[in-house]
Amino acid sequence: MSIATTHPAEHHGEHHPSGILRWLTTTNHKDIGTMYLTFALIMFFVGGIMILAVRAELFSPGLQLMKPEFFNQLIGVHALVMIFAALMPAATGFANWQLPLMIGAPDMALPRLNNWGFWLLPPAAILLTLPFTLALFGIGDGAIATGWTFYAPLSVQGGIGVDFAIFAVHILGVSSIMGSINIIVTIFNLRAPGMTMMKLPLFAWGWLITAFLLIATIPVLAGAVTMLLTDRHFGTHFFDAAGGGDPILFQHLFWFFGHPEVYILLLPVWGLMPHVLSTFSRKPTYGYKAQVYSFIAIGVLSVIVWAHHFFTVGMPVPALIYFMFSTMSISLPLAVLFFCWVATMWRGAMSFETPMLFAQGFIVLFGMAGLTGLVLADVAADAQYHHSYFVVAHFHYALFAGGIMGVMTGVYYWLPKWTGHMYSETLGKWHFWLTVVSFNLTFIPQFFLGLAGMPRRIPDYALQFSEFNAISTVGAFILGLSQLLFAYNIWRCVKGGPKAEGRVWEGAEGLEWELPSPPPHHSWETQPVVK
Amino acid sequence: MEATLTPAEMARRQAAARRTAWALGAAALALYLIGFLIQR
Repeated sequence: MSIATTHPAEHHGEHHPSGILRWLTTTNHKDIGTMYLTFALIMFFVGGIMILAVRAELFSPGLQLMKPEFFNQLIGVHALVMIFAALMPAATGFANWQLPLMIGAPDMALPRLNNWGFWLLPPAAILLTLPFTLALFGIGDGAIATGWTFYAPLSVQGGIGVDFAIFAVHILGVSSIMGSINIIVTIFNLRAPGMTMMKLPLFAWGWLITAFLLIATIPVLAGAVTMLLTDRHFGTHFFDAAGGGDPILFQHLFWFFGHPEVYILLLPVWGLMPHVLSTFSRKPTYGYKAQVYSFIAIGVLSVIVWAHHFFTVGMPVPALIYFMFSTMSISLPLAVLFFCWVATMWRGAMSFETPMLFAQGFIVLFGMAGLTGLVLADVAADAQYHHSYFVVAHFHYALFAGGIMGVMTGVYYWLPKWTGHMYSETLGKWHFWLTVVSFNLTFIPQFFLGLAGMPRRIPDYALQFSEFNAISTVGAFILGLSQLLFAYNIWRCVKGGPKAEGRVWEGAEGLEWELPSPPPHHSWETQPVVK
Repeated sequence: MEATLTPAEMARRQAAARRTAWALGAAALALYLIGFLIQR
């Protein structure tokens, strides 16, 4: 892509309220992006503290710190918080900050909807976590204890925590759909002149597919949890076998949403990765079209593979074979992406600043998620690994190494653009190495625990699993504490530091680098022309 | 192609964005509601 003319807007027309009113009423994409990212970081620590309590309980066999009921609640809310309140808002924060800058738009197309989409999140987060506090005052029996999957009949029988989670998920879903609609219409209508769809930055492509997936699948989740609510309180029996219902139906509905959700969490990261790799390899992205078509293929495949999450529930053999092979076929477009990422770096003039380090860590560790995912996609093998710690390790390689580390890549890559200051490379590198080492220390033992037969979601375990659980807990605490470096580095960068130039990185290409750092309040009042 | 985003052009694009947004919102709502009508 070559840029014929760019005219960064001047700092004028910045009439906005100050203080809390600014943040409550803002319709500026940068302010809303900042709020999404700040909210995501806060909830990342909230979810992290929950799981550190879980890991502390699992440090040694026996029950030390908490009752099993509370243990189950911590696990379920940890997952819901990390998925819906940390990872998804972080990706939406990236979209808000970057999409208008990258496609040459003055703002998101629907700014007020954008504000509303964000402000639905805090009440939803409160609804998710409030039952913990209510239980302290003798109201209810705590938060949702079904895991993030809400499986019936457990969720039909559960306490008020399930109702709180159902309403929270509805609100989060509405927020996600509004955000998705905004992203789609912004990409379709506000691109700079000359920016055809095949010149769209890959980050925008990744988010475009994500947005369509959200609109297609969130209503199904909303429907499923509404049916669950009516089963609980209004006498229906959708999922209650005693009344002629079918608990397996819930699993189908949930995972019709749940599997695309994995790609909803990952596609924005896959979209930003080529930008980072290209910048620090000082080479153009390899295989742009191949990556676009792979995104589309993965998006389509993601909605037809859902039943691999519950092979063991009992299905006709043809269904098992179909879901096994359709699941495995996702590895083909994913392999194309991996190839393109590596080929982008091939013979490049590579340098290893913090974003590039995180991108390397992402490729290697997310590769392990893909390979162990193939093992779980195998019907015969899955019968042994299902509901074991092998699954826990696999999806943390996907969602922490693939998702959270991808978000960290993006934060370090774009933070100087957002703040106008450089972060501390030394702290960034410490953060990277501590994260990678402690992440593996936490989750490699869990693969072996799963292979040895340790089931997931249990607060106590057989003595034979003691050593690996102790190692995993030590790793988890180092991992959690090392994230304080991340928060500190961001805080320092926001407060000050060496001035960042408009084109922060030597090899960076794209419209966003044509603007000063930080960009003016109204970006691209005069649209650039892309040739 | 004109580089300057005139108020008229911006208004045209925002109107198009609103139309598409309503259509996508209606599609999401339809997915949610149609599910309840499907007989098991």
